[in-house]
Amino acid sequence: MKTMIKVATILGLGAALAISASAEEVTPMVKEAAKLDVKKVCDVKANGLKKVLAVAEKYNPEAVKLGVEFKRLGITNSVYIKGLKKAIAKKEKKVTLHYKAKGKKKQKTFPVDYATWRACTFAVRSLQQVDEAQKTWRLAVPGDGYKF
Amino acid sequence: MIKKVVTASVLALVGVAALNAGTYNAQAEKDRQALVKYFEKKFANPEKSKNQFFPYTSDKELKDNYAKGLKFNDFRLGSYAFSKEGKSQYDELNEMPPYEDNVDAGEELYNSTKGIKQCFPDPAIAGEYPKFDDKSGKVVTLEAAINDCLKANGQKPWNMKKGKLADLEAYFAAKSKEAGKKVDIKIQSKAAAAAYESGKKIYYSQRGYLKLSCATCHVQGAGERVRREYLSPLLGHTTHFPVYRLKWQGLGTMERRIGGCEKNQGENPHKANSQWVAKMIYFMSYMSNGLPVDGPDIRK
Repeated sequence: MKTMIKVATILGLGAALAISASAEEVTPMVKEAAKLDVKKVCDVKANGLKKVLAVAEKYNPEAVKLGVEFKRLGITNSVYIKGLKKAIAKKEKKVTLHYKAKGKKKQKTFPVDYATWRACTFAVRSLQQVDEAQKTWRLAVPGDGYKF
Repeated sequence: MIKKVVTASVLALVGVAALNAGTYNAQAEKDRQALVKYFEKKFANPEKSKNQFFPYTSDKELKDNYAKGLKFNDFRLGSYAFSKEGKSQYDELNEMPPYEDNVDAGEELYNSTKGIKQCFPDPAIAGEYPKFDDKSGKVVTLEAAINDCLKANGQKPWNMKKGKLADLEAYFAAKSKEAGKKVDIKIQSKAAAAAYESGKKIYYSQRGYLKLSCATCHVQGAGERVRREYLSPLLGHTTHFPVYRLKWQGLGTMERRIGGCEKNQGENPHKANSQWVAKMIYFMSYMSNGLPVDGPDIRK
């Protein structure tokens, strides 16, 4: 009887702990992006504009879905990609991005190769950070991984 | 034999249920106590603990501008708890609080808006939100609860960041402060504990092109200076909202402030009514449990 109670209690405790643990989502695309060498896949000179933009187009929607899309100086990565698609199709050297900041319409112009590199690195890195965070976030929690 | 198996199983189930009932907030409480211990240690004597906690701050600044021996209750004031210079400016601003008109406007809204009085018969409720709604499986912030009430009464929801909603919330906060209420966030179910854990993970995860977590600035970085401004500690962050920010020249909610922080991190801010933001506020508010409600207030 005592053994059975012990076994049942251990099973119960195990179940309770398993239920309490939060399983944050790491999607297959996050795992895929985590394996990429961002310097190589986003190298415009080595791969060409179209190929590098295709990397951005592939990974950024997942970043949007997971709520981790990058935004710099009011411009989201989606805006970079949208503008670049048109500019690259027209073989333009510069891209003008249209965006809204504080309710006002604004625009900024960038060299296409630079903006393409940025769109690609932003898309890939945003997902890589999700993967990295799984191992690092607890290190910052006082009383957990952060010792003081 | 069968009787023994049944008895053992029932005992085990009762044990598990009792364990869970008593421990839904166990991890959160452990986190909160560790956070309090951390901040009390950090601000016990900043001059002496320079190497451990303030490596980038000059000896002179630590000596002249940092208060010593901060205790739990002091952290309701944010960075004004430790910055002597900031506290003196804060005291000057509070001689004629710029949010008083907002509190009056909030009281008017409380009395005149259809359904609000019925939804919130006691306005001194600022310290009780966010709550976890087991029925919907969602975290409900005070802002969301107000909008749910408006919708239930056939009205359009208000902007969750400023305007009428911030005014009404200012009235709730003022009444809570007047009644001596403290932050009292509850975690009473397995799903609520999971939402808290999710909020905690969001808070401590690095995001954006600057690869910053909220904790980078408000836990490890709290007390350090960015340009002229001191970074405020997580402990006490939610006690004083809505705040009148000089930068905004007006009143804003916690959701509005978080949106600004997300921009600074280099990420696309989440919607004010998203569960992402609600879960994070749930975690942040739990960390301030036991501190007096101190809103509305002024911040730079």
